[in-house]
Amino acid sequence: MFELTVALRFLKEGRLQSLLILSGIAIGIAVLIFLNALIGGLQVDLVNQTVGSSPHIAGRNREQEPRSVLGKVQQEPVVSIVATAGSAEKPLRNWTNLQEQLAETGKFTSVSPVINGSGFMILGERSLPVIVKGFDLEEANKIYDIRNKLVDGEFSAGRSAVLIGTELAEELKLSPGSIARLTTPTGETVTVTVSGIFDLGAQAINRSWVILSLPGAQTLFGLQGGITGIEMQVEDVFAADQITRILENRFPELIWSSWQEENANLLSALNSQSASSYLIQAFVLLAVTMGISSVLAVSVVQKSKQIGILKALGITTEGVSRIFLIQGALLGLGGSIIGSMVGWGLITLFLTFVRTETGEALFPITLGPGIFLVSVVVAVFAGMGAAALPARRAAQLNTVEVIKNG
Amino acid sequence: MADQISLKNIGKTYGTKVKTTVLQDVNLTFARGEYVAIIGQSGSGKSTLLNIISTLDRPTSGEIYAEDKNLTELTENELARFRNQTMGFIFQFHYLLPEFSALDNVLIPYWIGAGRKPPPDKVKLAKNLLERVGMADRMYNKSTDISGGQQQRVAIARALVNRPGIILADEPTGSLDSQTTVEVNKLLREINKDFKTTFIIVTHDRHIAAECDRVVEIVDGRIHKDYLTSGLEENKKWQDLAPVYCRESNGDCNTAGMCPSGKETG
Ligand SMILES: Nc1ncnc2c1ncn2[C@@H]1O[C@H](COP(=O)(O)OP(=O)(O)OP(=O)(O)O)[C@@H](O)[C@H]1O
Ligand SMILES: [Mg+2]
Repeated sequence: MFELTVALRFLKEGRLQSLLILSGIAIGIAVLIFLNALIGGLQVDLVNQTVGSSPHIAGRNREQEPRSVLGKVQQEPVVSIVATAGSAEKPLRNWTNLQEQLAETGKFTSVSPVINGSGFMILGERSLPVIVKGFDLEEANKIYDIRNKLVDGEFSAGRSAVLIGTELAEELKLSPGSIARLTTPTGETVTVTVSGIFDLGAQAINRSWVILSLPGAQTLFGLQGGITGIEMQVEDVFAADQITRILENRFPELIWSSWQEENANLLSALNSQSASSYLIQAFVLLAVTMGISSVLAVSVVQKSKQIGILKALGITTEGVSRIFLIQGALLGLGGSIIGSMVGWGLITLFLTFVRTETGEALFPITLGPGIFLVSVVVAVFAGMGAAALPARRAAQLNTVEVIKNG
Repeated sequence: MADQISLKNIGKTYGTKVKTTVLQDVNLTFARGEYVAIIGQSGSGKSTLLNIISTLDRPTSGEIYAEDKNLTELTENELARFRNQTMGFIFQFHYLLPEFSALDNVLIPYWIGAGRKPPPDKVKLAKNLLERVGMADRMYNKSTDISGGQQQRVAIARALVNRPGIILADEPTGSLDSQTTVEVNKLLREINKDFKTTFIIVTHDRHIAAECDRVVEIVDGRIHKDYLTSGLEENKKWQDLAPVYCRESNGDCNTAGMCPSGKETG
C-alpha cells in the first residue's frame, strides 16, 4: 500500500524524533505492564491468602438461621455462617443428589458436604467450647489442605477419631493418641481419640475446630444421614459471586453465600487499589497519546511540502489521512512491542531481586500473553487516536499554498 | 482538433472583506498537442491561472471543461483522481520527495493511481523515462543527492509516467542556469513532439516562450494577447515577446535591441 510506504519513509527520515517518541511509548507501556502485573500479582496473592484455604461458596439449609455460639469464630466469616448449627436444626436430606449435580457443572474444584455443630471438648476438669466439624475428609482436604498442615499425628478422622487444632491441643494438653470427651449442647456425648493435630493458620480455627468423619458427626447430632451444609471452591475465585447467584436460582431451598459477601472490606480495598492503578495507567496512556499527537503534528508541518506534492499528484484526502494514521499506529505498535519487552524485563528483575528474608519471591506474578496483547492493541489504537487530529490537518493542507511558497 | 481543455469566463477573487480580483473573464481553449507559453508580468495572475487549469485551485466564477466533463462540478477526490490520470506537473522547485530515490519519485504518480506497488513493466517504463531525461545513472540516488537541474529532469520523468495528455509547468526552468534551461527546454519540446503531449508552460524565460507554438499574455488578470507563433519569423517573435520582458526588466532585453536595459531582478 502506497500510504504505508510513505508512512514508513516519513518515520525513517525523522529518525531522532521517531526514536524519541518510540522510547516514550515504550516506557509508558512498560510502566503499564509492570504496574498491571504487580497489582494483579499482589491481589491474587492477597485473595489466595484470604480464601485459598477456605470455601469460596457455602450453602446451608434455609431453616437454619445463623446463631453464633462462639463469638470469636465470627472472624472467620464463611466459617462462622456455617458453624452455627445446633443438633436441633433440621438436616439437609438427599444431599448426595445435590453434590452430584454440583459436581457435574464442572465449575468447582471441590464439593464438600459438611456438618457444623457446637459442643464442648472435655478433659478431666477442663472443658472448652468447640465447633464440631463433620467432614468427608478427602473432599474437605481439597478446600482446607489439612493433610499438608498436619503438625502431629496422622491424617484421619472417624466416628471417634478426631483431628484438632494446635491451640486446642495446647490448652487441653492433648497429643495424638490422647482421649477426651465431646459433648453437644443437648447432652450427647462421645469419647474420642485424637488422631492428628493441624495448624490451619488461623487462631480461631486452631482453637475451636474438632473434625470428625461425616458419619461420626451425623451420629453425634442425630442427623440420620443428613448434613447441615455444603462447601465449594471454584476455579476462578472472582467468579464465586456470580456462580452464587446462579446457585440461588437453581437451588432456592438453600441459602448460598460467597466469599466476596463475607469479605466486603478486603474487596473494597482491592477495588480502590485497582481503581488507583487504573487511574495511573490512564494518565500514562494519555501522556503517551499526547506525545504521539504532538510529534505527528510537528511532522505534518515538516512534511507539508511532500503532502502538497502528493495531493497535486493525485492522492485523495483520505490517502493523506491514512499516511498519518498509519504512522500513529506504527509508533504505537513499535513502542508497545519494545515496551512489552522492557516491562517483561522489569518484572523479571523484580522477581529476581526483590525477595523475602527467606529468599522467596514476595508473591507470584503470572504473566500471560494477554496483558502484552492488550497493551499492544491499546497502544495501536491510542496511536491512531493520537494521529487523528494531525491527519485531519494534513488532509486539509492547501496544495496551492504549499507550492507557492517554495 | 478537439479542445482538450476549455475555460469559460473564469474569474478568481481573493478575500472576503477586501476583494482582490486576480483573474477576470478568462476564456481559453487548449487543443491536444499544443505547446503554449503563458507570459506576463510578475503578479499578473499566471500561476493563479495555471493552478486553476490544473484543478489545484478552484475559480471563483466560470467553468473548466476537460473534453466535455465539467471539472468545476467534481469533488476534491474526483479531481485528485482526474489529475493523477490526465495531468503531469513540473514545478519551479522540483518538489521531489526527499524520502524516496529518483526512480521511486518517478513511480509515485503510478503508485498513487493504481494503489499498489508498480509492476516490472512500469518500473521499466520509469527507467526508460529517466534514461530519456539523461538520469539513467542516478536513478537509485536519493532525490536530495542530485543537483537542481538533475532533480528537474527527474520531475519531468515523473510528470510523464502516467502518460498524461497534458503537462502543466510553472516556471520549469526558473531555478536553473541558462545552459540547463536550454537542455530542459529542448527535452520538453521533444516530449511534446514524440508523445503529442499538450504543454502549458508559465515562463519568464523568453527562450522558452520563443520556442512555443502559441503565446498567451496576461495583463492584470486578463488575457491581453493570445496568438500563434509557429507561422511567424524568428524576428517577429522576438519583437512580440520583447516588450513583455522589458516591462519586467528581466535581463537581456538589450540583445533584442528593442528597449532600454533593465535591472536584473530574477
Ligand atoms: N492567497 C492569496 N490572497 C490574496 N491575493 C493573492 C493570493 N495569491 C495570489 N494573490 C495575488 O494574485 C496576484 C497574481 O498572483 P500569481 O501568483 O498568479 O502571479 P504570477 O503571475 O504567477 O506572478 P509571478 O510571475 O511573480 O509568479 C498577485 O497580485 C498576488 O498578490
Ligand atoms: Mg507565479
